Amino acid sequence: MNGRVLLAAERVSKHFGCVVALQGVSFDIREGEIHAICGENGAGKSTLIKLLSGQFKPGSYTGQLRFRGEPIVFRDVRAAEAAGIAVIHQELALVESLSVAENLFLGRLPQRAGRIDWPRMLASARELLERVDVDLDPEIRVADLGMGQKQLVEITRALSRHPRLLILDEPTAALGEEEVETLTEQLGRLRRQGVAAVYISHKLGEILTLADRVTVLRDGSSVRTQEVTELTPDALIEQMVGRQLREVYPPRGEHRVGEVTLCLEGLSARAERPGAPQLRNISLSLRRGEILGIGGLMGAGRTELVSHLYGLWGQRLSGTVTLNGRSYGRPSPRRSLARGMMLVTEDRQRWGLVAGRTVDENLSLSSHEAIANWGWVVRSVEQARNSAVMSKLNLRSNRRLLAARQLSGGNQQKVVVGRGLLSAPDVILLDEPTRGIDVSAKRELYEEVRRLAAEGKAILWVSSELPELMGMSDRIAMMRAGAVAGLFEGPQFDARCLMAAATGQTT
Amino acid sequence: MISSQRERNFRSGTTPVSGVLVMPFVTVLLWVAFAIWEPQFISPRNLSMLMIELSVTATLAIGMLLVILAGHIDLSAGSGVGLLGGVAAVLVFQSGWPAPLALTAALLVGLGLWCGMAWLVVRWRIQAFIITLGGLLVFKGAFWLVIQSSTVPVVGREGANLYSILTTWYVPPTYGLVTLLVLGACWSLRLWIQWWQRRRADLPVDSGEVVFLRAFTIGQALLLVVLICNAYRGLPLAFLILMALAWLAHVLTQETAFGRNLYAVGGNLSAARACGVPVDRVVLLAFTLMGAVVAVTGFMQTAYAGASTTTVGELMELDAIAACVIGGASLKGGRGTVIGTLLGSLIMATLLNGMTLLAVAPEAKLIVRGSVLVLAVLVDVRMKRDA
Repeated sequence: MNGRVLLAAERVSKHFGCVVALQGVSFDIREGEIHAICGENGAGKSTLIKLLSGQFKPGSYTGQLRFRGEPIVFRDVRAAEAAGIAVIHQELALVESLSVAENLFLGRLPQRAGRIDWPRMLASARELLERVDVDLDPEIRVADLGMGQKQLVEITRALSRHPRLLILDEPTAALGEEEVETLTEQLGRLRRQGVAAVYISHKLGEILTLADRVTVLRDGSSVRTQEVTELTPDALIEQMVGRQLREVYPPRGEHRVGEVTLCLEGLSARAERPGAPQLRNISLSLRRGEILGIGGLMGAGRTELVSHLYGLWGQRLSGTVTLNGRSYGRPSPRRSLARGMMLVTEDRQRWGLVAGRTVDENLSLSSHEAIANWGWVVRSVEQARNSAVMSKLNLRSNRRLLAARQLSGGNQQKVVVGRGLLSAPDVILLDEPTRGIDVSAKRELYEEVRRLAAEGKAILWVSSELPELMGMSDRIAMMRAGAVAGLFEGPQFDARCLMAAATGQTT
Repeated sequence: MISSQRERNFRSGTTPVSGVLVMPFVTVLLWVAFAIWEPQFISPRNLSMLMIELSVTATLAIGMLLVILAGHIDLSAGSGVGLLGGVAAVLVFQSGWPAPLALTAALLVGLGLWCGMAWLVVRWRIQAFIITLGGLLVFKGAFWLVIQSSTVPVVGREGANLYSILTTWYVPPTYGLVTLLVLGACWSLRLWIQWWQRRRADLPVDSGEVVFLRAFTIGQALLLVVLICNAYRGLPLAFLILMALAWLAHVLTQETAFGRNLYAVGGNLSAARACGVPVDRVVLLAFTLMGAVVAVTGFMQTAYAGASTTTVGELMELDAIAACVIGGASLKGGRGTVIGTLLGSLIMATLLNGMTLLAVAPEAKLIVRGSVLVLAVLVDVRMKRDA
């Protein structure tokens, strides 16, 4: 177990604009060990593995990488691959319509006289699959495989290049229990063959049974690396969340919480696409003037909850959803807006903005009825409304004729929020509203949400950052596997209890 | 008005620089070249013909623009031009319907057909490319059925009617000048009111001299157009139809909720849906308007050809798409303007007219038109990358 150090990172730091992703992280992987990295969302795990696998250009980060003791600079992903580092991302890179064999050899298909040499390819594929002990027919289409099997194909492909280090980013997030077991066996076998693995996971149970050592990241710094035998689930949770609440959140106002506006009873919904979480029997109520935080790990179903409620994917919901005394079963964005519900999506480029159009047009997009007279846009009305909301959100009015894509992330988010607010909502669904915006923009957003709550809006706030949830929410619902795993009353929250509910550990 | 529009489009990146500055330049260059080569090109008679040809091309291109803005495409437009022109021709010149009634009937057929195609597109989520490709073939077949694969002349035996005068009637010179004066006065007034309103609302305004100069220049250009036309027979009716349609389309895309929705649907479909834009209704309306435009183009093109024959409208959909793209529209949707499309159409019409005048072989004509399209898009892509 105490092999030589294969790859080491020494005091690496990485910034995105003014956001610090990694700060002086030191980290090493020994030959033939399974090294787990854990930490909350946004702790810097993904940034670290990107750095290790050559996805950042040299010079865009500080610190030193060493490969077997020698300083090394990976110019790009290929350089890292050549050194024997293979990454398996959460989003699999397989061509669904091709066979397993073709996927295994994509980019280097065996050929003879300009045509694919099928017999040779199938034979090599079979050999490869046997070597890693995966029982799959190489001629089957990838589309016909389950998630776990696809993952195995991806791993087999990575192993066909004989890597020394395999990096797995949340490989079990979409897998069922049996599939996890197969994967665990595979990793055990690789360890015996001397291949090192870096393993990122939120599932603490898995980490504790599988890994040799664990590194905990927090806010972009490594907290500590330790042998797994020294650890307990409690200790791990403590290290992941145990930080001071450094950001200062605006205080809760004096306003009273009003009557229930949104009420969910036994809400369930099918997965929007294969592999996405489905919602299971969720019962929650939301009152006027209240901020209800929704927490949970990646894939717990937080985004799905707000998206289904708003009808982003237009799916039928089972169970009862009541908004202002009226129940609905098949929402669409249009109907939801008319009922007084708005959503700020997690992915604003995809769902939130028409990037090529002006700020004015984006702001008006959900409320054409209010600014148009028999279909004619009345510019003066539009400008008055937009000016009001822009000054409310502290967005300078000389930006109104710029294309949305020319704004900074924080200002884009303000446009998305402003567009929703102009449709006069009662219920505001916010999905990771502070993602990718800088500290001062975050601060402004916190204050604005507080003001909205004081005005009597009901707010559902999805966040993957525990301190933010704890600082902003009146109540917090933690989700796990598509269901509510625990409902916590404020104003004081215990981070360990929240994390325990999210990970399914009993404390 | 136009300038502030352009400026906004420029700043918001909706029209590439090439669409605003390069195209008039290229047009002038083409005109000079053709004039040197064949002085007949700038004769009042030929320029009047060019305006009628431009009217036909540009009318269809403007309809196409609406469809393209929504992120779709219409390949059936050319066949539709033939079919609807043919239907009206048969009704008027074989069945003896009064022309206004026949034109209205054919227009309704157009609305219905395009509405139906759009319904297939939005209801069953089939790409418009496929549906309208089917339309291209079906309409062509139906067209030949309607005219029984023969020739239906568009000349009234009992004198002129609304159909036959579409491309042969001209506004008498004096009335042309009066029309220009009245329109110019209205437009200047509107320009001034807008300028004044913006200043009152403390919005940035151009200085008074600039506004005056701009109005003066455009006024002079329009006056020149009228004078040239008057040197032949006057303003062609087809050109007035084009101007009216272009103005309508401009207002529709820039000043109405439908226009905003159109750009949003083409620019980012997911976001438009999430923002509560009635996406299906917008697409349906864009196609339905296209149906009307196809009908009007069909009447003008058939009248210009002098008869409804099996080749009327052939490949016109490609000319229309080319005009949009040269005018700065993106086939992905969400980008493009009516003004750009007019300029794009002018380039296409100029090329065709000039080459016909020079008696260029039909083979070469096709090759030149295709090359110009590719070249225009290349320039557009390059300029955007450099910007």
